[in-house]
Amino acid sequence: MVKKIDGQAFESEAKNAEVAVVDFNATWCGPCRMLSPVLESISEELGDQVSFYAVDVDENPEIAAEYRVQSIPNLVLMKKGAFVDQSIGFKPQAALTAWIRGNL
Amino acid sequence: MDRADIAVIGTGPAGLEAAITGTLRNKKVLLLGSADLSMKLVRAHEIQNYLGFPAVRGEDLAKAFQAHLDQLGIGITEERVSAVYAMGDYFALQAGEKMLEARTVILATGVVQGKRLPGEEENLGRGVSYCATCDASLVKGKKVAVVGYSAREEAEAAFLSEICPEVLYFPMYPGTSPMPENVKVMAEKATALEKKDGAMLVKTGEKAYPVEAVFVLRDAVAPGQLVPGLETEGAHVKVNRRMESNLPGLFACGDITGTPYQYIKAAGEGNIAALSAVSYLDQRKN
Repeated sequence: MVKKIDGQAFESEAKNAEVAVVDFNATWCGPCRMLSPVLESISEELGDQVSFYAVDVDENPEIAAEYRVQSIPNLVLMKKGAFVDQSIGFKPQAALTAWIRGNL
Repeated sequence: MDRADIAVIGTGPAGLEAAITGTLRNKKVLLLGSADLSMKLVRAHEIQNYLGFPAVRGEDLAKAFQAHLDQLGIGITEERVSAVYAMGDYFALQAGEKMLEARTVILATGVVQGKRLPGEEENLGRGVSYCATCDASLVKGKKVAVVGYSAREEAEAAFLSEICPEVLYFPMYPGTSPMPENVKVMAEKATALEKKDGAMLVKTGEKAYPVEAVFVLRDAVAPGQLVPGLETEGAHVKVNRRMESNLPGLFACGDITGTPYQYIKAAGEGNIAALSAVSYLDQRKN
């Protein structure tokens, strides 16, 4: 499952997760809408190792700024709140799964 | 709209042959492109090595192609596809505001002429964007630049000027129409992009203009940009002899797969791509 979170939950949950993948998106962004079912499917596969979150950049501009999100969709992978890597734009499931596994 | 079996993108010899072969194999084909077929073909002065048509003018060959489509009742859907998303068991094709769906995709869009700017690719998503409407809200209130390769992009600069106080517009073509007041049309051409101290620099011959973000907007999109995740080699899609790309269910044919840029080679590859798509579809059925 990909959990939609706001600023508060981002601090308390996402930043404390061992490994978190945060999907920065917006409702009006076409590629973001296509990416979300793909990420949902990946979360079913990797959910026991990675926590998945979604952040709306319009509702949470400060988090987007903190992680220097300048283009969406934008996946940020972090460990215990520390930035590890990011993946910009839509990517197919196999490519994203490999990207996440490569960062575990 | 119903999901097509095969979406063919491009109406040059490769795309048309793919659509014809797919249709003859009883697949539901969605042919996307221009009703004028391929401008490159239509403008060809004389083609001397197309089997069965000695010394044929491009215009006449295009007419013969059109007659072939008509005979099989194949119509052309005039849509400009801006992105193809591999969703797993199907593909979603962004066409304007619409999202079309197909089980397989055959790319036959021809080869993209024109190089990228130095510094463009490495800063993509880090200050360089290809989509004004996608990333506009992230640059709200900031100074931005637009490098536009056709007059069509002026509307994008005008759109950005609604949310950004200043927009520098670098037209890469001659002549611009009147623009909103806060769009500054530059007389110089952009030659390179560079990231410096968190800002993007648009470099021209002599000067460098610092902005928050640069939008590089062109008509023709490179294949890797059209299909995120697609493996490419330079301007070409990497395919095997069966015209399969690295993405299952996605095939490419014609100039987009590489040289020689010959009409008969393109048509032949279109045939292979369609047969490969058919066998992919048939395997999935079981």
